[in-house]
Amino acid sequence: MKDMKTVAGELGLKIATDLGEITLEKVTQVGFANAQANAALIAKGKSIAALQKTELMEGEDALVIAAGPSVHRQDSAKLIKESGFKGVIVASESAMSWCLREGIVPHLVVTLDPHATRLVRWFGDPDLTEEALAKDDYFARQDLDPLFRERQLSFNKEMIGLVNKYGPQMRIAVASSASQAVVRRVLEAGMDAYWWNPMYDDYELEHGLTRRIHRLNGLPCINAGGNVGSACWVLCHAVLSKKRIGLVGMDFGYYADTPYSRTQYYKEILALVGPERLDEVFVRIANPHVKQEFYTDPAYLWYRNGFLEMAQQADCETYNCTGGGILFGPSIRWLSLSGFFELSRAQSRIP
Amino acid sequence: MSDVLKGNFKPRDAVDVEQKSLDLNAQFEREALKRLGGSIAFVSKKKFLYGLEHNDEPTSS
Repeated sequence: MKDMKTVAGELGLKIATDLGEITLEKVTQVGFANAQANAALIAKGKSIAALQKTELMEGEDALVIAAGPSVHRQDSAKLIKESGFKGVIVASESAMSWCLREGIVPHLVVTLDPHATRLVRWFGDPDLTEEALAKDDYFARQDLDPLFRERQLSFNKEMIGLVNKYGPQMRIAVASSASQAVVRRVLEAGMDAYWWNPMYDDYELEHGLTRRIHRLNGLPCINAGGNVGSACWVLCHAVLSKKRIGLVGMDFGYYADTPYSRTQYYKEILALVGPERLDEVFVRIANPHVKQEFYTDPAYLWYRNGFLEMAQQADCETYNCTGGGILFGPSIRWLSLSGFFELSRAQSRIP
Repeated sequence: MSDVLKGNFKPRDAVDVEQKSLDLNAQFEREALKRLGGSIAFVSKKKFLYGLEHNDEPTSS
């Protein structure tokens, strides 16, 4: 790969087209191992299907809160709190901290990534040490939540307290692929867990991975779209039957002033192509709705392409209220967050 | 080393040393690319749910 010359972004586009297969290779073994390890808890726990018997089914509107950088650049929290929004609020685990700090308690949190050590940080990691921080600087670099970059050990303690405080008020949709560390924290914090399987491949293949995981634990399988933000949206319409879904923090990209070193996969991309060729991997996309250029990496681009494909199939209206990023296209309606709340209010007035 | 490890037979099939090296590069590149992969799988052009009712048949989206 180091000998191949491409123009700006072209290599990123090429990698993105291969990421479906590559991601499947990456997550299958660990996802199944985690599902095996979680099997006993799953057997005595609740299926995601049980959410259909809760009050989350009431109403037709939902707001998905993901952890894109836009939430820290806009006044979304104030708008949400002052909106009187009556719909269901579904947040990715990576956005949960921001929500709770802002006084927003999501009705449902979603987690799925099988990574053994990173994801638990969003819940507050009781085992976090200086040594662990020295081994993995992901949170010191990421752009999803600036507070996770600073004074990491003391902030982590605050997160443990915050999630323990609000845990009993929150439901969480936990994928069978979630790590032991995440599952332990979910239970410790008293969150109400609903289990599901991520879909791994075509469910029509009798000996395929999706059928295998379904046979293992009997849980429903959900096409998660590659990432937790997309999974939140899928749950909203496919499980909770919502007809109008607003998206916040669903950037799938970076603001132009974000240094490459603050991006999700910077170290991995650097190791793959070297410092001279970074521009070939990051793809620049102009957002016509906000007349601003953003850039993205292969994984986010793959997420975006997958989302656009799924949005065309979905039996719901999707309103992107992120105010930035690269998620726009057919079947995605661009709207301000206040506009979405107004629409929701207007619809609820219709008898 | 090549003075010590000398073959005393002719292999039945030709050995393509360069090809093996290319395979190793491809394998290395594949492992590196995996680190750029997403959080979980995405199954293209399929319904959103399978087995929601604990049936063997896919549920409709």
